[in-house]
Amino acid sequence: MHWFNAGCWIFLFLTGLGLIQNDDLQPFTSWPTILRIVFGGGANLLLAHEIVGIIWAGGFLLYGIIRLKSDVLPFFREIFNVDIHRDFLWLIAKGIQMTLGYQALGIIAKKFGFSPVIPDQGFYNIGQKIFAIPAVFGGIVIVASGITMILSQIGMASTELVQWAILIHFITVGLVFAGLLIHVFMASIAAGEQPAFISMFTGSVPEDYARHHHKLWLDEVKKS
Amino acid sequence: MNKQLAMIIDSSACIDCKACTLACKVENNVPEGKWRNWVKRSEPDFNKPDWMVHSASFHFQPGGCMHCEVPTCVQACPTGATYKDEKDGAVKIDPKLCIGCGSCIPACPYGARYRHPTRNIVDKCDYCEKRRARGELPACVVTCPTKARVFGDINDPKSDAALLLKKNQSVRVINKESDTKPNMYYLSATAPLNWPVKARMPDPIQLWKMAGPLIWGIVGLNAIGVLIMLGKQILMNDKAPETDESHEETRQS
Amino acid sequence: MTSPIETPLSRRSFLKWSGAATAAAAVGGKAPVLYALTPDETKKSFAKPDSRYSVCGMCLNACGLVARVENGVITKLDPNQKFLKSRGMLCARGNAGIQQLYDPDRLKYPLLRKGERGEGKWERISWDQALDLAAAKMTEIAEKYTRCGVMFTPGSDSQSLFVHWFAEVFGSYNVSTHESSCLLSRNRAYLDTFGEVPFADVLHTKYIIVAGANPFEALITPDSIDLMTAKKNGCKIVVLDPRFTKTAGLAHEWHPIRPGTDMAFFLALSHVITSEKLYNETYAQEKLSGIEQLTEHVLQYSPEWAEKECEIPAADIRRIARELAAAAPTAIVYPGRRTSDYVNSTQIRRSMAIVNALLGNWDSPGGLLAARQVGLSGPELPEAPFYDDNPEHRLDKGMAKMMFEEEGAFKHMRDAIIAQKPYPVKGWFVYRYNPLQSAANRQKTIEMMKQLDFIVTVDIAMSDTAWMSDLVLPAPSVLERQDPASGLQGSAACACVVARDPVVPALFESRPVFEILKGLAGRMKLAEYFDFTMEEYRKQQFKLLPDADRAIREDGVYYNPSKLYGIYEGKIYKTLSKKIELYNERYAQMGVDPIPVYQSPKPNPINQFRLVVGRNAYFTHCTTQNNALLNELMPDNSLWIHPVAAKKLDIKDGERVEVTSNAGKGELSVSLNNGIREDTVYMASGFGVLSKGLTRVYGKGACIAELIEDYADDISGNMAMHETFIRVAKKGAV
Repeated sequence: MHWFNAGCWIFLFLTGLGLIQNDDLQPFTSWPTILRIVFGGGANLLLAHEIVGIIWAGGFLLYGIIRLKSDVLPFFREIFNVDIHRDFLWLIAKGIQMTLGYQALGIIAKKFGFSPVIPDQGFYNIGQKIFAIPAVFGGIVIVASGITMILSQIGMASTELVQWAILIHFITVGLVFAGLLIHVFMASIAAGEQPAFISMFTGSVPEDYARHHHKLWLDEVKKS
Repeated sequence: MNKQLAMIIDSSACIDCKACTLACKVENNVPEGKWRNWVKRSEPDFNKPDWMVHSASFHFQPGGCMHCEVPTCVQACPTGATYKDEKDGAVKIDPKLCIGCGSCIPACPYGARYRHPTRNIVDKCDYCEKRRARGELPACVVTCPTKARVFGDINDPKSDAALLLKKNQSVRVINKESDTKPNMYYLSATAPLNWPVKARMPDPIQLWKMAGPLIWGIVGLNAIGVLIMLGKQILMNDKAPETDESHEETRQS
Repeated sequence: MTSPIETPLSRRSFLKWSGAATAAAAVGGKAPVLYALTPDETKKSFAKPDSRYSVCGMCLNACGLVARVENGVITKLDPNQKFLKSRGMLCARGNAGIQQLYDPDRLKYPLLRKGERGEGKWERISWDQALDLAAAKMTEIAEKYTRCGVMFTPGSDSQSLFVHWFAEVFGSYNVSTHESSCLLSRNRAYLDTFGEVPFADVLHTKYIIVAGANPFEALITPDSIDLMTAKKNGCKIVVLDPRFTKTAGLAHEWHPIRPGTDMAFFLALSHVITSEKLYNETYAQEKLSGIEQLTEHVLQYSPEWAEKECEIPAADIRRIARELAAAAPTAIVYPGRRTSDYVNSTQIRRSMAIVNALLGNWDSPGGLLAARQVGLSGPELPEAPFYDDNPEHRLDKGMAKMMFEEEGAFKHMRDAIIAQKPYPVKGWFVYRYNPLQSAANRQKTIEMMKQLDFIVTVDIAMSDTAWMSDLVLPAPSVLERQDPASGLQGSAACACVVARDPVVPALFESRPVFEILKGLAGRMKLAEYFDFTMEEYRKQQFKLLPDADRAIREDGVYYNPSKLYGIYEGKIYKTLSKKIELYNERYAQMGVDPIPVYQSPKPNPINQFRLVVGRNAYFTHCTTQNNALLNELMPDNSLWIHPVAAKKLDIKDGERVEVTSNAGKGELSVSLNNGIREDTVYMASGFGVLSKGLTRVYGKGACIAELIEDYADDISGNMAMHETFIRVAKKGAV
């Protein structure tokens, strides 16, 4: 499902970006041109974007219905499971560690009087949750605004509505994409992420990895 | 040299018979309540006490999409569904790419565009593209009793349109704040003059033009963050303190 | 059913919805079927070309057109660029002809009235039943009341000549046409001055006075177009009109003349031209009869005198007379067309014709032109039978001093039928004619109908007259018809012949009136008089024009390169004196003023307005208001009234008012207009319909026929439609 999501998302992002052909709005002017050549015209590009968009949304709708109890609700429970104090501290500490290093973390922690130990995290760390929440709800907004645009083509949306939909679609995609950059780095390129990346295919992580990164979850699993 | 299709109009010959608007409507299946072209009317100033003395004071002005040099409608379109064709200078609409958001409609100072109620896209004059493909002139040009409209390629010095422009003075009807450099020329003079409105982008599009750079900025910031982390990962040998059971401390890039 | 609001006008969707083909097929194959839906039809001769010539039928101008046909559906009507008379144009109505063809409201099947006249209850019957009934009724009336007991009113249409022919062989003298609501007085006046009715060479003239005509609005080819060309070539245009019309607005001078005083103006022009000897004396000696009498007669009609009558400054009148004379002979007083305005409309046009005569412009460039030779032959038809029980004369004989025998006058016919004197008329055959909208005093027309036992109307739409009939027969549009050849006078542009062939087969069960008359003739022992096909008829018409057939096939028109100027060289004029008559001897003999004598029009009663009527570029009289394309240009009519006059009545722009006259009343909104005299109001024709079969226009506006009192011109019997005064009151006010 994740890869279905990722694949659709990348395709939609790239084609969506390519659909924006306007001097004021498009910083990468050659991208729309290239895509239009590849797809054989702007109309085909739009069609591809819309079809994959519907497949993506449809896929999630089905998933949401079929796997509601088994996957979806637990997922939502987990990403909203936040311990403000601990997780805020994790953000600060991890953030400094990822950019400036453990040594710097120690120095800064001492200076500002907080523990240099990076707090434990659950199945998802707060960084992942901070991306997940906007990603999911942003996704819903993106789908809704996208469907509005499709509805316009069958006469079921007013021009005013569609114009706002376009704006919201762009802003939401932009913001989620900004977060996506971090997510991709953290999930695949960042040091020590290999097991996690592999687990997206196999479904499991080494215990070692879990202890280091998601200790709270490991404890829970061990309990049951 | 690329073409620039244009209309040269002798509005003093217009008798407001509306033949051009009907011919266009039939030729292009323009829906009820919408028009691709028009005839504007200028009346005497009835407030002047001697208004009757100065006769010859109706003036009728045929018009339509002016296929401007600086089309504000194109500037408003997010997807380039409407665009100025380099080859013939006409401003066109790709009906399969247009989703009917209507951003281009208020962006036209002349009100030349409308949203088609059943095709759900934006429509406007296309100089009767299908007729031209058959070697015919646009419907409005052909049907006019006084032949007030002349159509042609003004980049071709031998065309009727270009010759008319060369031999006569002409004016264009513009809104001072939005001079889109229309490709519709009126021979010697015309009235009314002050009717085009300022080109306006719809609020969401204006917001987008402002928000756009902001969003890209945020993306950029995040990208920079990622690059910093990547850089740190490559350049720094970051060991966790001993209390931590590290398992991947050093990763050579 | 597709709503007209949501759906773009789509002929294809109309045809699908209407099931035109299936309906026609269901009737049993006799009616033609849309060829696109029956593959066999595609083998017919008109399947291959996607362009076909025809001639517009939306008005009498008959502009040549090219119809574009795609998959059996006409998708566009374009001007025939080889058509000189129209200067290669097609106006708004011409373009809208496509909508007349595919109008959902068009008549489709023969309809028999159920319930009372005007109730709108119809029973669909077969053609056999319809023709049997009509033939039986007409025969019944003929036996009881003589053949003259049936009145025939053929409208302006290429096939109307067959209605005339049918009336002749049926034996009725009581034939009346549109002309007695239109141009009879002009024709009378010019016939009685020049011996024939002229055409104006507008293209080449250098000075033109347009009085009571509106060529830039009421399109007439080539005049309306040539007037613009002439203007650009330096022709000066002077307009006299109580309204600031389009012609007035594009002219050099406009004078808001007091309505009904045109004669004063033109008598004053004659005064200046004769007293200052601004005419060619040699010409006058050779060609004009009565110059001395005229000079004497108009001495009393000075510009100073005229100023008091027509409210145009004397200095202007004098100046215009001199300018006009200086431009002679390339100067015209435009004869106009519709002259159904005042009770002395013939004499008014006599005064205008006289000025034309003084200008010496007859038969020369920029002047008045004689009819050019077209070259069609009359067909060889058998001699019509004589019915010895018939009365001696037509019903309205003698009711106007110098009536055209073959035209009569509808107003007088109507009065006679209401009175059932001198003899009863009980039947009425109507073809493409709608007096319930076009003839003054609608209530009188309704009263006339009460006297009639049987009324049959042939039309393409459910006009008001059809709505009130007993039997309604559906006719096709001209695009579905094969017509006899017609000759057209294009003044300086051409003399030409047109003939229509069907562009598409007739829709539904519509039948051209030629077929209907054949069917009636067959049932009334008159078959021998209609024993020919349209092709045979045309062949006879083309006897002297061997090239006409080919030209019409290849170019859509045949031109006769006949003489344009100098037709009268060495010839006499068809008048008593054999010259152009300033003084009309025959009038004197008949007790009519031989030179017009001025009569002041009635002054407005207090707080009342004179109602004037006129034409519109978007509509053809009162017959196209329901056409969806044209209706969009003007969905309603309104009363033009001057803001000062409106203020006195406390009426604001757009408000609803009640209008009443001695003839009837109506309700509509007002349009404040500075371009009209304060004592005058105007409204467009064709609204305030009775017929619910005109779904777009029903319920809109008010009807001029309801309001206009039925005066008639003394001499010709032409209706006089500007003699009515109306009261205007805010809706709801006392």
